[in-house]
Amino acid sequence: MNQSTTARIPLITLVGPPNSGKTTLFNYLSGNNFKTVNYPGATVEYSLGKFQLKFSLEANLLDSPGIVSLFPNSPDEEVSVKSLFSHPELGSPDLVIITVDASQLSRHLLLVKQLKESNFRIVIALTMVDILQRKKLDINTKKLGELFSCDVIKIDGRSGRGVRTLISTIENIFSTEKFKVPETTRANFSNDTNDLIETFKEIEMIESKVLISLDDIPQTPNISKANKQLRILIDPKSKIECYKIDARTLKIDKILLHRIWGLVVFFAVMTLTFTSIFWLAEPLISLVDTFFGMLSNESLKLLGYGWFGDLVANGIISGTGSILVFVPQIIILFLILGLLEDTGYLARGAMLIDKPLSKIGLNGKSFVPMLSGFACAIPAILAARTIPNRRERLLTIFIIPLMSCSARLPVYALLLAFILPADRSWLGGFLLASIYIFSIISSVIIASIINKMRHKLIKEEDNSSFILELPAYRTPKFKVVLNNTIMSTKAYLKKAGPVILTLSLLLWILTSFPNINPNIDKSGLNEEAVLSLTKAERLSTSYAADLGKIIQPVMTPIGMDWRVGVSLIAAFAAREVFVSSLALIFKVTTDETTLQNSIVNSMRNATVEETGQKLFTTSTIIGLIIYFVFAMQCLSTIAVSRKESGGWRIPILQIIIFTSAAYILTLISVNGLRALGLD
Amino acid sequence: MKTASQLKFGEKVIIINIDSSHPSSRRILEIGFTPGQEIELVNSSMFNDPLAFSIRGTLIALRRNEADCIKVE
Repeated sequence: MNQSTTARIPLITLVGPPNSGKTTLFNYLSGNNFKTVNYPGATVEYSLGKFQLKFSLEANLLDSPGIVSLFPNSPDEEVSVKSLFSHPELGSPDLVIITVDASQLSRHLLLVKQLKESNFRIVIALTMVDILQRKKLDINTKKLGELFSCDVIKIDGRSGRGVRTLISTIENIFSTEKFKVPETTRANFSNDTNDLIETFKEIEMIESKVLISLDDIPQTPNISKANKQLRILIDPKSKIECYKIDARTLKIDKILLHRIWGLVVFFAVMTLTFTSIFWLAEPLISLVDTFFGMLSNESLKLLGYGWFGDLVANGIISGTGSILVFVPQIIILFLILGLLEDTGYLARGAMLIDKPLSKIGLNGKSFVPMLSGFACAIPAILAARTIPNRRERLLTIFIIPLMSCSARLPVYALLLAFILPADRSWLGGFLLASIYIFSIISSVIIASIINKMRHKLIKEEDNSSFILELPAYRTPKFKVVLNNTIMSTKAYLKKAGPVILTLSLLLWILTSFPNINPNIDKSGLNEEAVLSLTKAERLSTSYAADLGKIIQPVMTPIGMDWRVGVSLIAAFAAREVFVSSLALIFKVTTDETTLQNSIVNSMRNATVEETGQKLFTTSTIIGLIIYFVFAMQCLSTIAVSRKESGGWRIPILQIIIFTSAAYILTLISVNGLRALGLD
Repeated sequence: MKTASQLKFGEKVIIINIDSSHPSSRRILEIGFTPGQEIELVNSSMFNDPLAFSIRGTLIALRRNEADCIKVE
């Protein structure tokens, strides 16, 4: 493993305890120049990047989830530790940068000590020095560096202060002639807790040697000058000062963790989050919708109504539109989640909800993954890795598909637009909110049923635990959060986009072939009539129609026909494909301004072929909504669920349980509503 | 012996030891709850579980049964 640095690009790994500012530093160092990758074989995500060009440092930079110690406690920590010791493709790191919160020195030095014992070459990046200085304390970085025989640099990953020094320090280390990749050993940290207690005693000794008081010295902006005048503290008073909790945080917690007000605020925050998702995203969504509807129409006019024009307009453009239409919602949800996380509130939310969630076999730590599930199940399932207990993690993964993800929104929007009278469109928001509440209640019920049957279904027993740091409240940096939001949205689009587009094109082929140019009797018909007849003929003799007729027997009991069935099959690509697929099948040829309006109109005229009854009625629309609340209707989710749960058991159970629940409940509600006289 | 789960709000005590038979004991130690440290019960969630303690200058939320393995003076 002793390669010289000239032979390959050096690898620098970033590690650090949670809340130590590690990811902020990573983002600052790499700019936006990184990608998230799966850890080979274990499918856990980490970020691999290069340094920003302005730093002119040629090295790979690896970032993975935060760890408290080298003794992992949850799947995400396990991966961090594994990739630290030996990455399957990149090998051992040449250098490890460890972020240490200066105000949490005695807790965060544990990891430093363990890394040092494992023989890593380390640089300590000291963060949050400003918080410590507010307590009139500082850290003697030179002394700390001597004690660990490594470089210590004070940095601020938000403003970038100190980063230049960090870079030149790294360059110095690499340019030393004798530099070699260190041989690391994965020390077998014994389970003996007495060793740990001893380690902490040593750390406390170090702490008292490096902690210095700013008390007696007049505040001066020149820290290096000030350092000379500082005295090293021996008296325990400084320690007491250091261990004082931020007074502002305590004050805010008096309200936000109050047993009554805390809950009021919690529900208010959640309500506000979801309502802003609907109302803020709504105009943006219709903008995207209108734009692609227009684009599709214009390109049809431009390219002609032959198969090529049809491919571009109804295959490619509509397909792209169906991907982009829910981007506003994902951005808004990620943005709100990011802001809540950055203020420190999400950890409090997890604490508040831990007890009720533990009653249904979940954990307070399931809260953030479940919340993310309202944007998309895929990042949500990945986020479940932070849950240490395997059974709780599997149950969280299990119910995440029931969270109403943003891909369902275009579907609900279309279906609600159908049953809403035009003059009462404001009702839409309320109906949408009730769908969300309905889906939350349903997932709670399903989780508790699964939890009851867990011995048969999930078969895991593990110590249930909830240990979570509640970070000090901070004003969120909007720019940083926005940046992260854009990154996650991009990553998401890259992952889901190609799949959705491919399936949209496949669907276009299925609905257009084999009879792409049908023979029809054109005599006595104008151009428009010929066109719509061609389309109808093309579709009714297509592969999709053949496929649809096979599933007709399943669709008839729930009041729907093969065309809806085909759309439901297509929606396995991604739920929102349901909309573009309905649009295709119900021949959106009108010159309406928005996609949605024209689909609604052609849906109003659709009839069941054999009976001539109206196909879409209030009861079938409600039935479809209920179907989408429950059905496991997403291939990507199934794939991620298999990877993350480590087998087919969970995804197969999800498909069987959710899809049959969806079908049965739709069957009951459609026929029940009809029996009650609602058509 | 008294445990951290029996504290009143605002009561400051010193940790005597951590019951190492508890499956979470290692993590509780790693996060900073070591013998000799002072802790204070600062907050609790509804149903008084989990509990939030002040330790080494930060707040850590623990479930009641986990706080039970922290023996205090």
